[in-house]
Parts: sequence; C-alpha cells; structure tokens
Amino acid sequence: MRGFVFAFLGGAFITLQGVANTRISQDIGTWQAAAVTQFTGFLMAMLILMFIRDKKWKKFKRVNPLYLTGGAFGAVIIFSNVEAIQKIGVTLSIAVILISQLGLTFVIDGNGWFGLKRQKMRLPQLIGIGMMVIGVVILRL
Amino acid sequence: MILGLIFSLVAGSLLSIQNIFNSKVNERAGSWATTTLVLGMGFLASMAIGLIFEGEKMFNLQNMEPWYWFSGLLGVGVVTCLVQGMRLLGPTYAIAIVLTSQLGFALIFDSFGWLGLEKVAFTFKQLIGVLVIIGGIFVFKFAGARKNQETSKVENAAG
Repeated sequence: MRGFVFAFLGGAFITLQGVANTRISQDIGTWQAAAVTQFTGFLMAMLILMFIRDKKWKKFKRVNPLYLTGGAFGAVIIFSNVEAIQKIGVTLSIAVILISQLGLTFVIDGNGWFGLKRQKMRLPQLIGIGMMVIGVVILRL
Repeated sequence: MILGLIFSLVAGSLLSIQNIFNSKVNERAGSWATTTLVLGMGFLASMAIGLIFEGEKMFNLQNMEPWYWFSGLLGVGVVTCLVQGMRLLGPTYAIAIVLTSQLGFALIFDSFGWLGLEKVAFTFKQLIGVLVIIGGIFVFKFAGARKNQETSKVENAAG
C-alpha cells in the first residue's frame, strides 16, 4: 500500500512539474524557467546528499563520462515539454511522450545499445505500444 | 498541432536516453548523488542555451512569483517517490502505476484548466482514449514481461 501511494504521488508530481514549468514560462520565459527550477532542485538534492552523508558520489569517477552528461538533456526536455503542453494540452503531450519514451527504450533494449544486455523484442510490447497509439488517435477524434 | 506532437516525441526520446544514462550513474553513485548531478547538469545546459538565444534576458527575473522558486523541489519529490515506490513494489508495478497516475492527473489538469492552462472540455471520448492508453501501458509492462528490462527505466529526475 505504501509503495502504491509513493508511485501514485510520483506520477502526480511529474505531471504537476510539467504544468508548473508551463505556467512559470509564461512569466519569465522557458529557458529561464528550466534554469530556475533545476537550480533550486539541484540545491535541495545537494543538501539531502550532504545530510545523508552518502559518500558514494565519489564513484562518479568509475562511470563512463558520457553517461554523466545525461542531465544536460533536461534543458531540452523541459523546453519541449512546455512547448508541447502549450500547443496540444497536457493529456495529449504526456501520452505522446510516453509512447516515444517506451518505444525508444524498447528499440534500445532490443538492440542492446549503450552496453545494455540485449533483450528479445516481443509481440506483447508492440501490441502495448499499438494500443497507446490507438488511444491517442481516440483522444484526437 | 503537428509541432506539439513533434515536441512531445523529442521530449520522450530524450527522456528515454536520459533515463538509461542516469540509471548507469545510479548503479554506482546512488540516487541522491545522481539526482544532484542530473539537476546540476540540466541547470548548466539551460543557462548555456538560454544565454545563446536570449542573452541578458536570462537574468531578467522580475516577474518571478515566490512559489516559482519552490517549484524545483518537485523534482526532489519525484525522485523520492520513484525510488521508494520501486523499492516497495518492484520496478514493473511501480512504473506502471507512475505512468497511469501521470495520465490521470494530466486529464484532470486539462479538464479544470488549472494553473492558467487552456481548458480542454472533459468528454467521454477522452476518458476512453486515456483508458486505452493505460491498457497499452499494462500490456507493455506485464504481458510476457521481460526480465532485467527495468534497469533502463530507473528514475526520471528532471522530467
């Protein structure tokens, strides 16, 4: 039950984040909104990291430097998310984001890119993505 | 319309790659160190791109409402919830619920037009559309579930 509540709230926060970024962008601009919100989030995460005295961050050195840059995508992700919400609304934006996210992850897993263990592509996953696309079409009918 | 769809496709693709990268960092450095790095990188990239396109306007924040400063803390809430959710339920269940809740709240936000959103009238058609998408998520996640695939979908701190 507690796990369910966490997962449920996590989803709510992700949606709220997109909507809040869109609202903030109207007043100060999208890149400004992306910078400000990620900066305050960064400060808070760093405080927590110091508080829990987790020394594991020293292991950054042992990670392929390419993977350390993933966060930089956040700028373009927030920008695109805000633009999409302004143009097609929250529901449709999130639905299409999920389709492309699950779809690309599926392709990456299937090919074993980025050193991931190669997974067999299976029909049910394709059917699932197909259903999501049909759902989006229904939204737009 | 088309442009909105393209922006969504771009965001989703980048999220997919970002989640894979982040989960690799997460394996070694733990979730708070990863979140700190991810948000710090995102901030630097936003500043850099913003300075290129907008120059000094990047520092013009006079229209800030006080709550805007705290909005960034949502990212911390997201990480906490996802990490705890996955620890307690396992990744497959947790992510399926996260995605479902994301869509459900999206529908609510559109229907009420909260936070200055353009109101999208709630219709039966929309409800069906969202339910079919959620059905798709569950088929994707549970039917013939593939083991180990979940490592690529760990957290999404900056989304």
